[in-house]
Amino acid sequence: MENLNLSDDLDLENALQDENDEDEQLTPAEVIELMEEAWLNEKFAPEILPHKFDVVECLLGQITYMEDNIQNLESKDFRKTIHQLEVDRLRFLVCSYLRTRIEKIEAYCNHIMKQESERISKGEDQYLTESEFQFLKDFIQSLDSHFEKVTSFTVVTEDWKSQPVVPNVHSFVFLKSKQEVEGVIIDDGRNDENDLVDLDKGSQLIISYNSVANLIKKGDVHLI
Amino acid sequence: MDPDEVEFLGEKQYISIIPTFSSNVIHLISGDVGPFRPSIPIRVPFWMAMQLKQQRICKIEPPEWMEVDKLEAIKEDEKNSRTFTKMPSDHYMVEAKILLASATDDIPRADEIRTIIKDIWDVRMSKLRSSVDVLVKNNGSYAAVDNLTLMEINSIRPLLPHALDTLYRLKNSITGGSSQSQSTTTFSRSTTSFHS
Amino acid sequence: MFGEKACDLIKELSRAEDNLPAYNTDLVTEVGNEIKVLIEKNQEDAQISEDSRASDGLSYISTVKIRHAAVKRNFRCLLAYHYNRLKCIRTMRWEFGSILPADIKVNMSATESEWFTKYSRLMTQYMRSVGEEGVNLWVDLKPPKALYIEVRCLVDYGKFELNDGSVIFLKKHSRHYLPRSECEELIRQGVFYHIN
Repeated sequence: MENLNLSDDLDLENALQDENDEDEQLTPAEVIELMEEAWLNEKFAPEILPHKFDVVECLLGQITYMEDNIQNLESKDFRKTIHQLEVDRLRFLVCSYLRTRIEKIEAYCNHIMKQESERISKGEDQYLTESEFQFLKDFIQSLDSHFEKVTSFTVVTEDWKSQPVVPNVHSFVFLKSKQEVEGVIIDDGRNDENDLVDLDKGSQLIISYNSVANLIKKGDVHLI
Repeated sequence: MDPDEVEFLGEKQYISIIPTFSSNVIHLISGDVGPFRPSIPIRVPFWMAMQLKQQRICKIEPPEWMEVDKLEAIKEDEKNSRTFTKMPSDHYMVEAKILLASATDDIPRADEIRTIIKDIWDVRMSKLRSSVDVLVKNNGSYAAVDNLTLMEINSIRPLLPHALDTLYRLKNSITGGSSQSQSTTTFSRSTTSFHS
Repeated sequence: MFGEKACDLIKELSRAEDNLPAYNTDLVTEVGNEIKVLIEKNQEDAQISEDSRASDGLSYISTVKIRHAAVKRNFRCLLAYHYNRLKCIRTMRWEFGSILPADIKVNMSATESEWFTKYSRLMTQYMRSVGEEGVNLWVDLKPPKALYIEVRCLVDYGKFELNDGSVIFLKKHSRHYLPRSECEELIRQGVFYHIN
């Protein structure tokens, strides 16, 4: 129950945060920073995280813009190789991030579908972008039709979705705190008297993911 | 995490180079670098420095900590401290690896430096192993890993997280499977800090 | 014994580890037949117990339950077999690209080849929808190091056109200094060997 209340508060704070963000223009360097953070978070979080497509789109825009400019440089110009390498590095970052999400969508397709459907029916923000959600639906459909074909000899309707593969949200992760956070509740597998831990800015910890999932989504800490 | 990816993150650190060419400011997406004038040191990202070095149009200025005396001091501190000391750079290993591979000619006493850095790494790794041992034996459910660098953290991944996962499962199956609460109290819920 | 063949199917797959063993049509059919027989028998028994409800109908219940459990288990094994094969095929799509080596292709069933094509199409659709110009996630699997790399050609490949329009001739044992991005797929296909 405590977790539930906590997450409601967080959503509210996130919403307020978003409004503030719109007033400030991020520099490209800050966008890269956000992308790196999102990449690492997605890489190490067992479950799929809320998408960061504003960051992705912004960075892809920068990349495209730069590539157009590179065209105008002479191929012997040493600056061309430098710009090209930077573009390649950033493209890797974005692509690796997107790939990680696709991998999770595939691995936990039915579980994610269930969660997303719940979010939709509750009117909450979806974690997947529109195109990711489309991919999810198509992917599930492709498995459905494959399984249907290979089990066509029988009328048994044992649903392959009845025991979906789910992420282990208790798995251990390394994090770095971006600010002071008080009273993080440690889930150590018992319900009684959970330990509390305070985080200083910059402190690093190994801890179970579900103890800090909300802090990651809120952006108070990031995974390393 | 692929070690290449740890390196990838380390390569965005800045390093000082001494160019042998002239150029105006280069507007990178990650920020402007330059202008470049021969013999005037200027800071650029590592990946860029390596590119220029490859084209033989710059010399690398080693980071100020990459000196035998300073590294010896760091090594001593590390040996004498029970906890992990703060490294001069969050990516000291990546930086050392790249520079010692591609810019040896720009680093005085490169061989000695290579040895000391390896020593520092070894001291920290053995400390890390014994901390992990204590953590697992005490059945801790979290631990501080302050001052560990990304490369070091990556070296105990996925082993440590997996070990803790397994412990958690065992603990849970005992708590869940047995109605005798007595049996669970033998598992003390102590927390081990890696640096306290 | 019920479920034995299904278990063999799983064992076969797990022995192959990361490789894709030949699709075992025979064994899949046999497991399917076992399921069919079990269901038929259960239906018969259900009919009998329905007819003789008053007298000894009870005695069939345990038999029916066991058969049902066997059906469920067989079914899950079939699903696991097919699902894990798809996962393997998916990995190969990422490793080898849209054209799979012949020795892997022969091990796939017609339905699996169909899924392979469908999966490629789904990914392409998704990749097109990202950003304004779309992204290509199939490439750049590793962080970029240098723009150009040295490769050795392992087969007589013939003509190869580069993005800039120039054509090179790839002969076995020949060495080339090429843009990394254009070599990646050929390296994965085993045409090139990346010389470090």
